[in-house]
Amino acid sequence: MSDTTTPYYDPYDFDIDADPYPVWRRLRNEAPLYYNEKYDFYALTRFEDVERVSLEWQTYISGKGSVLELIKSGLVMPPGNILFEDPPSHDLHRGLLARVFTPRRMAAIEPQVREFCARSLDPLVGSGGFDFVRDIGAQMPMRTIGMLLGIPEDHQEAIRDQIDEGMRIAEGAMPDRDDGYAVTMGSGFEEYIDWRVDHPSDDLMTELINAELEEPDGTRRKLTREEVLSYVGLIAAAGNETTTRLIGWTGKVLAENPEQRAELVADPSLVPNAIEELLRYEAPSPIQARYVTRDVEHHGTTVPEGSVMCIITASANRDERRFEEPDRFDIHRKIDHHLTFGFGIHFCLGAALARLEGRVALDEVLKRFPTWEVDWDNAERAHTTTVRGWERLPVLTS
Amino acid sequence: MPGWRVVVDFDLCESNAVCAGLAPEVFEVRDDDFLYLLDEQPPDALRERVQDAVRQCPKQAISIEET
Repeated sequence: MSDTTTPYYDPYDFDIDADPYPVWRRLRNEAPLYYNEKYDFYALTRFEDVERVSLEWQTYISGKGSVLELIKSGLVMPPGNILFEDPPSHDLHRGLLARVFTPRRMAAIEPQVREFCARSLDPLVGSGGFDFVRDIGAQMPMRTIGMLLGIPEDHQEAIRDQIDEGMRIAEGAMPDRDDGYAVTMGSGFEEYIDWRVDHPSDDLMTELINAELEEPDGTRRKLTREEVLSYVGLIAAAGNETTTRLIGWTGKVLAENPEQRAELVADPSLVPNAIEELLRYEAPSPIQARYVTRDVEHHGTTVPEGSVMCIITASANRDERRFEEPDRFDIHRKIDHHLTFGFGIHFCLGAALARLEGRVALDEVLKRFPTWEVDWDNAERAHTTTVRGWERLPVLTS
Repeated sequence: MPGWRVVVDFDLCESNAVCAGLAPEVFEVRDDDFLYLLDEQPPDALRERVQDAVRQCPKQAISIEET
């Protein structure tokens, strides 16, 4: 039976968001360049297209925002938020952070990350169940990024909740971002930054306060307070929300694949590839947006300068042209590379940290809880425009 | 004799170490967290794996130059 209707994709429709894969498959096959009239945006869904657009930063820029409603709002992006910048300022600003999140540096904090997991999970042993998101997904990444930044533990939760609140959206409409979302990203951190200026420590915030930035003309200067705030806000937001969702997906997908979960319990050396497959299979940040700076052609249609192009990375990860049986979850799958962390100049700076956190969380869960079932009556989705996943994923353990 | 050479753009490199995993004979990320090119003109037997590294480098910092 073939579906003769035109496929429709709407990033603000919660019903579509619940399982967007069938509509993305139709877009890949029937409308590889998709145009949405309601919100006036184009979308690419095939791996090859998404990867190419990710590399062509001169044509598909981030400087007007990288979220659909942000670009549409026409707001001027504040400086220092590398997600919303293009070269040369992007490269200068990113350069300051590039050496902070390397795989080696992240490997060095593994013992602390493990301890954060243990602290969250140990009290739950024998309790009959726990929540993958509330009890670990929202805890460990917050403590890890808080530790790296130097935020006191008793303030971490309030800051994380404020960030989550700022990202939340209502059903069925493009959110109005005149509320200053982009501008206030760093709020909540002012007092720590001002305090750290006088009380330097061995943390990222101190490093940023002291960092010297080289301007395009070669002059060197320290970061402004606004720039430090912007960096800190970005790191806190990016470091919390996405990994929280990854850990939620881990709980859901492995509950649906109990044989593979048992394999992981029997052989923990399979965990890193399982995380890679989870990243491919359920990308926590499935859709990115770019502003198009010149007329371009895709699949025989011209996309005019000034358009918004959405690149659906989570669809690219399920592209049957690239992955065999893409809708099958397989912890043994050999993955050349997926696009969950993006590709090119904006490649996720925190990729090594996310992989570490995902791996350690799964390791520590399996050690204590080899089996679980999702308590669907009490599970709840998260609804934000940039991140897809679970707000609550309670599970029952025997 | 025609050959090939590995070129790394160190301004782009962020030590993601994808290349070091694919072709450890050619790429190494050392204790200082910087990438070192161990063999600029590797044997042809390694070409395929170096090409994997070129393709998979998320920052697209590696290229092959025909000499």
